[in-house]
Amino acid sequence: MNGISVDINHLKKGEVNLGTSIMAVTFADGVILGADSRTTTGSYIANRVTDKLTQVNENIWCCRSGSAADTQAVADIVKYHLEMYTAQQGEQPTTKIAASLFQELCYNNKDALTAGIICAGYDKRSGGSVYSIPIGGSIHKQEYAIAGSGSTYIYGYCNKNFRPNMSKDETIDFMKKSLAQAIKWDGSSGGVIRMVILTKSGMERLVFYPHNYVDSE
Amino acid sequence: MADCLSLASRHIKEQIIFSPDGRNFQVEYASKAVENAGTSVGIKCKDGIVLAVEKILTSKLHVKENYERSLTIDRHIGVVWSGLIPDGRHLVNRGRDEAQSYKSLYKDPITVPGLVDRLGYYVQNYTCYNSVRPFGINAIIGGKDASGFHLYMIEPSGTYWGYRAIAAGKGRQIAKSELEKLDFDDLDVETGLIEAAKIIHLAHEDNKDRDYETDLLVCDASGYFHKPSAEQLAKVYEALDNLSEGDSDDNEMEE
Amino acid sequence: MNHDPFSWGRPSDETYGSYNNAIANAGNVSAFPKMNTQQPIITGTSVIAIKCKDGIIMAADNLGSYGSLARFDDIERLVEVGVNTVVGMSGDISDLQQVQRMLEQLEIDQSYEEETSALRAEHVHEYLSRVFYNRRSKMNPLWNACVVAGLSDDKPILRYVDLLGVTYESACVATGFGGHLAIPLLRQKCDFEAEYADISLDEAEKLVKECMKVLYYRDARALDKYSLCRIDNNAEKKVTITKDVRCEDMKWEFAQHIKGYGTQVV
Repeated sequence: MNGISVDINHLKKGEVNLGTSIMAVTFADGVILGADSRTTTGSYIANRVTDKLTQVNENIWCCRSGSAADTQAVADIVKYHLEMYTAQQGEQPTTKIAASLFQELCYNNKDALTAGIICAGYDKRSGGSVYSIPIGGSIHKQEYAIAGSGSTYIYGYCNKNFRPNMSKDETIDFMKKSLAQAIKWDGSSGGVIRMVILTKSGMERLVFYPHNYVDSE
Repeated sequence: MADCLSLASRHIKEQIIFSPDGRNFQVEYASKAVENAGTSVGIKCKDGIVLAVEKILTSKLHVKENYERSLTIDRHIGVVWSGLIPDGRHLVNRGRDEAQSYKSLYKDPITVPGLVDRLGYYVQNYTCYNSVRPFGINAIIGGKDASGFHLYMIEPSGTYWGYRAIAAGKGRQIAKSELEKLDFDDLDVETGLIEAAKIIHLAHEDNKDRDYETDLLVCDASGYFHKPSAEQLAKVYEALDNLSEGDSDDNEMEE
Repeated sequence: MNHDPFSWGRPSDETYGSYNNAIANAGNVSAFPKMNTQQPIITGTSVIAIKCKDGIIMAADNLGSYGSLARFDDIERLVEVGVNTVVGMSGDISDLQQVQRMLEQLEIDQSYEEETSALRAEHVHEYLSRVFYNRRSKMNPLWNACVVAGLSDDKPILRYVDLLGVTYESACVATGFGGHLAIPLLRQKCDFEAEYADISLDEAEKLVKECMKVLYYRDARALDKYSLCRIDNNAEKKVTITKDVRCEDMKWEFAQHIKGYGTQVV
């Protein structure tokens, strides 16, 4: 490498990653998204209070995992497309349309992106719904989805404890316990647990601090 | 240009010049082309859409049942039109491209109002330039999407309206007065098909010296457009036979 | 000093070394072709199929693997095209979904021209082979191996096409692990092309189910839940796909007699 060129591989290594624990769960009244708040560059915590839950339209949000830069860029583009959709069609997009836009971007740019996204939202037509868009750019409609490095530790726990049509409190409790385990075992996850609740009556944000979610185990 | 046309009369030939009383004559002439063409009808029933078009056979030498005048865009949108046949085919082709491009982005079939809106813009564009002429058609577009059944008609100016039922072409006055007698809240696709075929038959009175065929297209609860089934066609034939009893004119129906 | 106009305004090579044209994709010097040979991420394992007298039996399980992680257990890998064709796909799931969308558009475009029943298995196979070969020639393959099954003039058609654009036709076709484990079993019943006429659909179905069981025993990326497709020329609806079929009559009890790895007896 010479003076003026930039070593991309070196830059990639130093990239800010959301080595994450994220999830989204449908329940009786809609859907809840949840995430930890740790962002790392290697083993240094670049941000311990990150907000990985991103709004892309009125009642459609996403959880981001992978490269912070990539997922922010993708979320911004999807947000733009959904604004265009709303203006052109004169109606709010469905969660499926938002998820399809994520899928289209992640699939067509799979060589350039490191992005694992969960897209979740509430719309009148289909209620609460969750779509998982893992790296590679496939799309999977699910009752609940987990993703990020921490999720691998809680596949069994979530599979055993999820039930369709839970109440709001049950769902929050399920997510809090799941994410607490993911954070406990995954070094790339940590900090607070953030949640966004999406129902027909709009959105609500929640934050749980380590000292109270650790007890919930 | 200024040599061969006086400034005062340029609006007659050129689209980008308004007439002194604010009209675009080329668009109005296009509408004239529609007014003398075969009749087309669209009905929004309680459980579906029925489209029908009268295909005038301009020569005894024509092979029958040989060309389509009722076309589909994707699976959930159907089109019939009155006016210049190639213009309608071109518009449908554009509609198919729009539907495909919408689907490639959103992975969802295009909404009917969405498609009609895009086609409206497209048609309007042909009224803005001297190098082109407007579409010589009224296109009746029906379809089903997540919000239900829709029926629209696009005119040469690019204007479009939504309708419960609509007719275009030479027999439109007769057709419209017949359509107004229908109770759309109670009309199902089965009877809608019969009514549409009857109306085309009646509207043909204005054009009696020429033979015709009828193209029918139907969209039911499945949301897909298709030709009427054999059973549906049998009922249509039966109704038409009753209608033309004592009437020596034999109808050529095409499925 | 470099007097080449292309170098005007650029830092001198003596000081900084030659300009790296990869920066911001700048420059009209293409040092090397664009490389985008990817790798499969979420994957589906084998598809297996066998021809028989009145049709075809095909099966593919529902697992979407992420490496060794059993990421999804509800992936549908048998895709219906038109009224008498089914495409079974293994390999990358995002590419599978893309191919699925392309086939749907093919069907729609086809419906503009003529009846959907006119789109037959050999047309679908030819279409896929062109798509796959074109993509591999652009060094950007669709990472799948496909089995195309269907009826044409009442005769069963069973063909293969993969990420390289390789195609072949056979009475028994399988992708991936199925090629190693299922094909030998299928060939016990149908060793050469003409023999398929001696196999009934029910016989073939039993055989395919047996193969799916063996694959579940021996393929670490397989699942005991799969979709089974039955193409029956004598049925009113030629194609039926049964979902959530389970591997049955598995034998595990012999495990209790196995102790140690050689001389141990307790």
